[in-house]
Amino acid sequence: MGLTIRQKADRIGGFRFVSVFLMETLAKWIPTTPELEAKVLFGRHVWVLAQHADQLGRRTGELRAPAQYSHPPTEGYVRVLETLASSAGTVERVAAFYDAFLPDLERRYREHVAAVDHIDDEPSVRIIEHILFDLARLHQEREAFAAQRPDLALVNAQWPAQIAALAAGEKEVVGERPVAQAAAETA
Amino acid sequence: MSETPNDTKVVGGVVLRRDPVREACFRVVHSDAEMQEWPDMSEISRRERLHRHMNNETAAMEIAARCLVDFPETPWELRMSLARQVADESRHTALLFRRLKELGGFKGEFPVANFEWGVTMMLDDLPGRLAVQNRTFEAGLMDILGTMRRRWREAGDSATADLLETILVDEINHVRFANRWIKRLTREDPRVLLKVARAVRFLAQVTEQLAPKPGDLNAVGVAWTEERRLPPAVNIEDRHEAEFTDGEIAEILRQAGFRSIVPATPGG
Repeated sequence: MGLTIRQKADRIGGFRFVSVFLMETLAKWIPTTPELEAKVLFGRHVWVLAQHADQLGRRTGELRAPAQYSHPPTEGYVRVLETLASSAGTVERVAAFYDAFLPDLERRYREHVAAVDHIDDEPSVRIIEHILFDLARLHQEREAFAAQRPDLALVNAQWPAQIAALAAGEKEVVGERPVAQAAAETA
Repeated sequence: MSETPNDTKVVGGVVLRRDPVREACFRVVHSDAEMQEWPDMSEISRRERLHRHMNNETAAMEIAARCLVDFPETPWELRMSLARQVADESRHTALLFRRLKELGGFKGEFPVANFEWGVTMMLDDLPGRLAVQNRTFEAGLMDILGTMRRRWREAGDSATADLLETILVDEINHVRFANRWIKRLTREDPRVLLKVARAVRFLAQVTEQLAPKPGDLNAVGVAWTEERRLPPAVNIEDRHEAEFTDGEIAEILRQAGFRSIVPATPGG
């Protein structure tokens, strides 16, 4: 995939937008989720997602975009994020986040890595490989949460599948920035 | 589940932010008189101390988390520090819960209060919240931990003492980043100092109004004495680490009746 520098910056900036949004979503859920174990789970992962955003944001600064540049996703993908954030109920939140949304995001990261030239865009590839390594750990800790709280169950059994379907239905995270807009934002 | 925990409650005539959500097993109370605290290091007192500290760390996590949500335009470096603080407080909560269970305790064994959340979340600007939560409450925790690690060790519980050492080190970082950012933000915009002053004044008013009086009893009949009402001995060494100035430490010492913790000897 022969991406231009602008396209590379936009895609990395799009992943950064998602990381920041997820960080804020977990942060928003912490005081409004009753179970202590869930608060702890979300709290630990706020920092993981902040680090992902930071690494991606450093990379945008190397790609003729501002450092810590977040590229807004498509309208459809924003709807996916907002629906995820609207999850109510502890297990609905945990399942929507870890079981439905994150696997889709991981697929998108893998597809990006598979599509780019690993020598041409090695710095971005290394960052995403690191992120994928971290996300695997998040799943392990979500499993540990389930073991700690076997008493909790979904109230809305369809909710995780709805989030997964919504995410899978969006082809791209980000759209293309018009050249003039990109130039103005970089100036 | 409430999405916007912005409701208020009135406690002793003071308007505070309504509590963050807690599991049904917890009994949330709103005053020192309703708390069950013992001044000694008996088994029940140890469990209550851990239980209370666990809830306070949970609230600290919740406050830092809300700062990330409420102030998205904050400089990214400061947001990173807040995100790290969320994770640190989360680890502290988990560590204290684990230790509580090791000592035979359980969630909800004692009442909990969310005073820090109630006060800090009434402030609608980040410098004010940093001034109250990090520079005051967390710095106060540094003082308390400076004393309590020794008391736990003297009581023969080095595992809990070591845990408190771990928490103390993290709290120094939280206080230090708040000190640095308040100074930086004030340099960039002197009006920030007014927000900080307003926040500190609000905390002083609330504390004055709600602090127990000498002779008041708590829920297990323990009286508040003049000594118990004093601020804890000042942890001078760690306040220096957290970048309080000599002048600020002198003022805190004065408020604490010039009681301080003797710094640890090198290698000690």
